[in-house]
Amino acid sequence: MAQAVPDPPPSNKKRVKVYELRNSDWFDRGTGFCTAEFTYDEVSRSDIPRVSVQSEEHPERILLETRISKEDLFQKQQDTLIVWTEPTTNVDMALSFQEAEGCAAVWKFVSLIQQRFVTVNGGSDDALDDDMPLDHVYVHQVQLPAPSLGNLGEILDSVKHCNNTNSGRDGLAKFVHTEDYIKQLLPLVEMAEDMEDLGSLHKLCLIMKIFLLLNDNSIMEMVVRDDMILGSVGALEYDPDFPSHKANHRQWLSKEGRFKEVVRIEDDEIRRKIHTVYRLQYLKDVVLARILDDPTFSCLNGIIYFQQIEIVQHIQQNPAFLKELFGIFGPEETNQERRKEAVLFIQQCCAIAKSLQPPGRNALYNNFLAQGLLSVITFALRHSDVAVRVGATDILVSMIDHDPSLIRQTIFRQINEKQTPLTDSLIDLLLVEADLGVKAQIADAIKVLLDPGQQNSALDQSKVSGEFGSRNRGIDAKQDGFVRDFYDDSAKKLFKPLVDLKDREDMTFSVHQVSLFIYLIEILCFFVRQHTHHSKYFVLSEKLSHRIAQLLASPEKYLKLTALKFFRNLIGLQDEFYNQQMTQGKLFEPILNLLTETSNRDNLLNSACLEFFEFISGHNIKNVMIHLVENYREKMKEITYVDIFQNFITKYDDSAGFDASMEASFLETEGSETPKRSETGSRRWDNGIKDLDATEEEYFNTSDDEEDSITKSTRSSVNGASPLTKPLVDYPSDEETENIEIDAKTEAKDAKGAKSNGVGPQDLGIDHDLPAIGGPGAPERLSEKRRREEDEEDEIGKLSQSKRRNSSSSVGSNTSNTSNPLRRKGNFSKHGGVAGSKPNKIAITLSTAIKTGGDNGSEDRGS
Amino acid sequence: MSDLDKAIAQLRACRPIPEAQVRELCHKARELLIEEGNVVTVKAPVTICGDIHGQFHDLMELFRVGGDVPDTNYLFMGDFVDRGFYSLESFLLLLCLKVRYPDRMTLIRGNHESRQITTVYGFYDECLRKYGSANVWRYCCEVFDYLALGAIVLGATTQLEPSRQPVTAPSRSSTQEYLDPDVEIEVLDSGGSIIQRFPRANKRAARANSPSKDSSSPSSKTGPPGTSASGWTRGTTGSTSGAVLCVHGGLSPLIDTVDKIRLLDRKQEVPHEGAMCDLLWSDPDEIDGWGLSPRGAGFLFGADIVKQFNHKNDLSMIARAHQLVMEGFKEMFDSSIVTVWSAPNYCYRCGNVAAILELAEDGMGESAHSRSNGEVNRSNGGFKKENDRTLLAGPARRYRVFQAAPQDSRGMPAKKPSSFYFL
Repeated sequence: MAQAVPDPPPSNKKRVKVYELRNSDWFDRGTGFCTAEFTYDEVSRSDIPRVSVQSEEHPERILLETRISKEDLFQKQQDTLIVWTEPTTNVDMALSFQEAEGCAAVWKFVSLIQQRFVTVNGGSDDALDDDMPLDHVYVHQVQLPAPSLGNLGEILDSVKHCNNTNSGRDGLAKFVHTEDYIKQLLPLVEMAEDMEDLGSLHKLCLIMKIFLLLNDNSIMEMVVRDDMILGSVGALEYDPDFPSHKANHRQWLSKEGRFKEVVRIEDDEIRRKIHTVYRLQYLKDVVLARILDDPTFSCLNGIIYFQQIEIVQHIQQNPAFLKELFGIFGPEETNQERRKEAVLFIQQCCAIAKSLQPPGRNALYNNFLAQGLLSVITFALRHSDVAVRVGATDILVSMIDHDPSLIRQTIFRQINEKQTPLTDSLIDLLLVEADLGVKAQIADAIKVLLDPGQQNSALDQSKVSGEFGSRNRGIDAKQDGFVRDFYDDSAKKLFKPLVDLKDREDMTFSVHQVSLFIYLIEILCFFVRQHTHHSKYFVLSEKLSHRIAQLLASPEKYLKLTALKFFRNLIGLQDEFYNQQMTQGKLFEPILNLLTETSNRDNLLNSACLEFFEFISGHNIKNVMIHLVENYREKMKEITYVDIFQNFITKYDDSAGFDASMEASFLETEGSETPKRSETGSRRWDNGIKDLDATEEEYFNTSDDEEDSITKSTRSSVNGASPLTKPLVDYPSDEETENIEIDAKTEAKDAKGAKSNGVGPQDLGIDHDLPAIGGPGAPERLSEKRRREEDEEDEIGKLSQSKRRNSSSSVGSNTSNTSNPLRRKGNFSKHGGVAGSKPNKIAITLSTAIKTGGDNGSEDRGS
Repeated sequence: MSDLDKAIAQLRACRPIPEAQVRELCHKARELLIEEGNVVTVKAPVTICGDIHGQFHDLMELFRVGGDVPDTNYLFMGDFVDRGFYSLESFLLLLCLKVRYPDRMTLIRGNHESRQITTVYGFYDECLRKYGSANVWRYCCEVFDYLALGAIVLGATTQLEPSRQPVTAPSRSSTQEYLDPDVEIEVLDSGGSIIQRFPRANKRAARANSPSKDSSSPSSKTGPPGTSASGWTRGTTGSTSGAVLCVHGGLSPLIDTVDKIRLLDRKQEVPHEGAMCDLLWSDPDEIDGWGLSPRGAGFLFGADIVKQFNHKNDLSMIARAHQLVMEGFKEMFDSSIVTVWSAPNYCYRCGNVAAILELAEDGMGESAHSRSNGEVNRSNGGFKKENDRTLLAGPARRYRVFQAAPQDSRGMPAKKPSSFYFL
């Protein structure tokens, strides 16, 4: 996006032939134009003096580029000849100039630099890193004439010329700033407008653009000053790139009433900052959007960021202001419009807070909550204006994103005080909300607020202070009670639309009903994974599986898909409880029907059905397979285009209903199971389930199919040679180190490859070719984000830094999102040897991977 | 003029359509995409395109160079969004065209068509900026989940015919020069003039002045675009054109046949591992077998893997995108796989050219295996049973190379500032 800086005409440069000494013969490397100047170096982040030659025939080719790095490197031999020995390659080189004048000019620069090396500590390369003395000598003394309509062309040329070198740009920025030059230019805009002098207006625009793209904070801050802003954007309205077009920036910015003060901000300085931020954003988003380069982008973002910090700080440290703000929601206030605006004001505060450092954000939210933010949210969620509801969900979600326990604590307080908890308000709203965006956010919020594992992970990740930890344990118990109470009452209300499907024949619904069902099923999938036994009995007693199975007959295909996903979730848990529910309820039948219906098509539904049964087959879920074969043998026989069902039948027949093999494997594995089961148990404890009741306990003790199938599949993956003696989880540790080595090696190799042919498969090198990101003083977070955007290659690892939650529709991906790719690689390389030749082994590797995924379903919500 | 046509016209002007219209569009697209298989069957002729990355004006340039929809059939291999400034307009336009001309547009999913990636790399922020809420982003992400994972191109000819769509440039005469029936690869510039031609290997040996010879000499390293992309040192032999598999990233160790891809439930966020992830994230590399990917997702795979996979699945070639190539396209491993990249001057600064790959229709119409959607006997449809390891002949390939759209055609930014502010 860097603005195309027009190259100066070649006549400016010095025509030259480049020679190289090969076998004591001077070899002509081509003719081109020579420049000697400082160029910015990405690696050392400093200006490096270089001599370079650009090919005459192919201007995109650089015939020569060499760094002036020693005091005696270059020698001038005749009027038109400069020779040297290339330090890196030890090749003798020569530049033969067409004209002595050109040679002299280049030599002047070279000798000046070389003198530097003599005077500054003996000519070591390090001298260059310390560019203070160089700056002192080389900063251009830029001088521009007092502007008038008559000399704009001349000024533009000088400005363009300065803009070509770094030192020129520095000098120009200094001059513009110290002379308040822009202020001198601005009157010309109106003058030229009066005279309808479009040419001058275009020149003014170009000059202004160059000034703004000098990437200088003080210039940026200057143009958005009250007395300068309109003139500055006025000049930018006449862009020669769009000669027939005039922008209306002045009209936009000068319009009264853009700035709304819900509560009067007394501090003039803060009000000025608020205007500054708005104008800078306008510059960034509108005026300069098309031409913005990275340094200017980060420069603008940096200024905006620091101003916003001060604004937010001012607000939250101003009790009088906060009191008045939240007072708007009190009984005295009669102006509904003002309430609406107050919600939008808070929404904007929270939006800004997202970019603050966590402690600042925390302070702001705490202050807001102390003032009664939650009741504001509750008020706003019921507002008739959708914009206010969007605002309320935005505020809520931004706080949940920051730290869900903030909201939870307030909810606990609400419950203690016998108020309606926020979650109930959210449920009410979800059931009636028409705006799909609000609905989606509410569904997300409900999930997070009811997530029992949530504060554990939040604790691990960010707040590892002991004090916080002990406080959290108390909350943990509260949260557990909260979840339990939820199932007594709120859950019934939430899932009522599903329960009400009972006895309904017609499965056609309105668009809103369909979307509501989809959200409900997605929430239920989440609960089933997270709340284990609480949800288990709820699903059973409310017969939710049966109701959702009804939806498989809906004419809306995506509703069918979501319903199918629910069952895939249940199967993925590999929990005999749910398996039994499904077999006893004959719930596989509608799924099998769906498969048969779609069998003549290769479409998404068909694939999803196949995947469902493929999972059962891959994980050898025997009871389900027995059930299927015993009840649907004929139906399955007809499905021949995949071998899944043939396999079911064969397996069944071979083992006479699995009985024999089941017994055998059960006995065989009993011994090695013991340590594993206790581990499973403790993992469940980690998930926050602390009060296993008797039935639950018994259930865990009697059902071994889960572990059994792990063992079986693992064993078959090692060809059944040795029984499993070691717990599964132990293995990645030593492989990990091994793989780190491989990783490093691969990377090194790739980097080399990329370098050698310039079109390396990874293009890893390209990062270094990009302009430096993050101007001086840019806040760390912003530049960090920006830098991430710059990376050529996408890396999944970067996502772990992303705070935003997975949105709703990814109902339990089929595989786990373990955040450690190395571990996965470990698993793979373990079996990788046979991967190429015997692909059927791979399927087994996959199945163990999925198995882990099912168990650690909670991780799905990570990153 | 229907609403859809109006929306297309508006988006072509790089102006976003209202939120309600986006919702409706996404709804329609979903209905359409849900009926597509994980691997869509596409019949030649088709023009295959790589990453777009929100470079709307370059997408317009692509349509100018490749021919407009619906005159040309397109297959886009994902990564429509992120990084560029106009992800929204680019994706919505492609989606509109898909809904308007379902049989002429094929869109498959790239690794950037994901909630997580788009929140980091720009599309989320862009939607938020342009609409003030994340709703449109949500609608789009919902559509992402329905996008197919790959496509199979059938019925591509092994013989190049003269370029059929006269491109706007007047220099058409050059394409109408002598026609060599044995040309395997032809590289054209954006005006339609031939930059390079490569005959099939068996003929190539007879010619002393083979152009591929020239391209390998070091002096032309920085020569015209496309030249140093020549990985086709040997070329391919034989006469039967196999199918071309198109995916965004590459192969997966969990997928040894194309039919295995059909067993995935693709309606989900792109997972961090597993077959679906690999298809969207992997890269070919000069290694043996499989390797770790520095991206942290997907794998690296070597020539042996590609050749084995192609042979097993009767493919002559794999077309994929996902990696920046300075010349716009790059064939590797004896032309068994090609990377196509369609975002010129990527990120507005990489200085690369872009390319699209045209596969022409086989005049006979016979060689197309009937493996269309809905075929029940999928695994055996049209497959030859043979044990010899000869690779199937690659289809004749015409690459059109083009540069970034000129600056002044980019139009004014469409972004609107918020009309009032509190802070």
